[in-house]
Amino acid sequence: MSIAAFAARRLGRGVLTVWFAVTVTFLLLRLLPGDPALAVSSPTQTEATRALLLTQYGLDKPLVEQYLLYLAQLLQGNLGTSFTQSVPVLDVLLVRLPWTVLLTFSALVLTVLVGVPLGVLAASRRGGFLDKAVQVFGVTGQSLFVPSIGVLLLFVAGLELRWAPIGGAYSEGTYGGQWYLSVLHHLVLPCLSLTLVQLGSYVLTLRATLVDALADDYVVLARANGLSERRILWKHALRNALLPATTLIGLQLGFLVGGAVLTETVFAYPGVGRGIYEAVTQLDFPVLQGAFLMLALTVVLANTVTDLVYGWLDPRVKAS
Amino acid sequence: MSAPLPEVVLGGVPVAPPAGGARRAGASTWRAYRRQPLGMAALVLLGLLVLVAVAGPWVVPAPASYGTDVLVAPGAGYLFGTDALGRDVLAEVVHGTRQSVLVAAAASAIAIVVGTLVAVVGAYVPWLDAVVSVVVDLTLSLPVLPLMILVAALAGPSTTTLVLVVAAFSWPEVTRLVRSQALTVVGLAYVDAARLMTRDHAWIIGRHVVPAVTPVIVVSVVVTASRAVLSAAGLAFLGLGDPTSWSWGRILYEAQSAGAMVSAWWLTLFPSLAILALVLSATLVSIAYNDARNPRTAGPA
Repeated sequence: MSIAAFAARRLGRGVLTVWFAVTVTFLLLRLLPGDPALAVSSPTQTEATRALLLTQYGLDKPLVEQYLLYLAQLLQGNLGTSFTQSVPVLDVLLVRLPWTVLLTFSALVLTVLVGVPLGVLAASRRGGFLDKAVQVFGVTGQSLFVPSIGVLLLFVAGLELRWAPIGGAYSEGTYGGQWYLSVLHHLVLPCLSLTLVQLGSYVLTLRATLVDALADDYVVLARANGLSERRILWKHALRNALLPATTLIGLQLGFLVGGAVLTETVFAYPGVGRGIYEAVTQLDFPVLQGAFLMLALTVVLANTVTDLVYGWLDPRVKAS
Repeated sequence: MSAPLPEVVLGGVPVAPPAGGARRAGASTWRAYRRQPLGMAALVLLGLLVLVAVAGPWVVPAPASYGTDVLVAPGAGYLFGTDALGRDVLAEVVHGTRQSVLVAAAASAIAIVVGTLVAVVGAYVPWLDAVVSVVVDLTLSLPVLPLMILVAALAGPSTTTLVLVVAAFSWPEVTRLVRSQALTVVGLAYVDAARLMTRDHAWIIGRHVVPAVTPVIVVSVVVTASRAVLSAAGLAFLGLGDPTSWSWGRILYEAQSAGAMVSAWWLTLFPSLAILALVLSATLVSIAYNDARNPRTAGPA
């Protein structure tokens, strides 16, 4: 498959996923019991606004026509109006999105930075004490509840040791370099708790694929050629094992975003997730709906870019 | 929210022989299982939690609506301390166990039945399988928690909502796990033989395909249930739990709303430990069960 055909396929897949998310949302909003106007406005709306909204969103029309109108509105970036803030939902969310992206992306990078050495260590000492320890750690990590680990970090590192701030994303009244430093400082604890809940499955997958790779013919050949064990592990086996492990991360990005919602809630971090928490308390449905669509779009974009980069780096992806 | 259990952890489940030697195979799996101390400890812990869920609320009276001793640290009077309204945290955790176990069990039961049905019928009918695998892939790549939040908020918080919402977004994971196994089974010779004997497809699926994928179903019951615990706790933590009954997530939610989540550490610690105990024991049981079934790790039977 040529690079162009491969890219076209992946892009098509991304578009399909976004369409799927939009359609599921539309169907849920229409099929669930309750007033569909609630999904774009306040429960305390007047009858006049309600009628206006129903016409504006075409809610008095047949379902198929409604669906097309819904798509048209979304394509124009109209996600409705947040009734608690009386501003377009898109504006509310666009301010918050960078924080969520920063948090999720930094957690991903940290996961890989810590996870790769741990996985290599476990796979190279298969059956030994270190391997067992890493596996126990991995299984426990998978069972953690995000708010629990967040509060634990808050309590120990934030309140008792006073190493890091306990909430927010930056210090008020700081400018320039100071501001960037305060952003980093505020990022430490949320990023750490998000990393901890996701590290386990990454390490376990990497370990398992490495163990398989170490039994492959090319490793036997490399050994026969007298390459050092370290070179075989890091240069040969790891390069082949990284692909499945990274694919898994892509698959888990949706779950990671879910974790980010809970983390932001615990740390009062001003991202989309904390926005969701606030919207739930105020039953601000337009924001909830917009937040899901926006997070879905972000996840799909990230996955598509990763796929394309991987297809470019690894010839096996294009072949399959 | 926990990440999906990587397939490699669940891999290596051998294709079971059809119904014939099922009882003997079950007995030898159990013999191999009993030899794993960690697996047995996890099974005992899981049993204890279920016991607390069933019998606990009869022993410990329901938490009162308010009390005079506010935010008391754990001690002789209150084993787990009290919350911001002076309610006994021990009683909340015990009553929350019933709710959390119930939601997990009900949600995963629905997800398992739907997910297995879709997977098995899909594997049997090729054109359906194409649709199923695309829908499953698409659903799994979306951020599911924000979607669950939207639905739960629209439908209004209640135990039924919680169960249905968690189930509705858990079955694709079951389908993913069962489908790959079912596809292998459908290609085997004895299924072809069955096709020669009868045109009753439902019979072939029920008699030959489902028994062969049962081990994967057992594993996904556990995986789905522990995922359901985390999802339900996550929703309750955001304020979408059932406001009329206690759950572990609700204790955390109320601690957060009262601003006491970090200062009154016992409000977070005990429900967190309960969640960890349930999810971890379920995961360990599924791993030990897998090892016990795998002839390479189970040793001589």
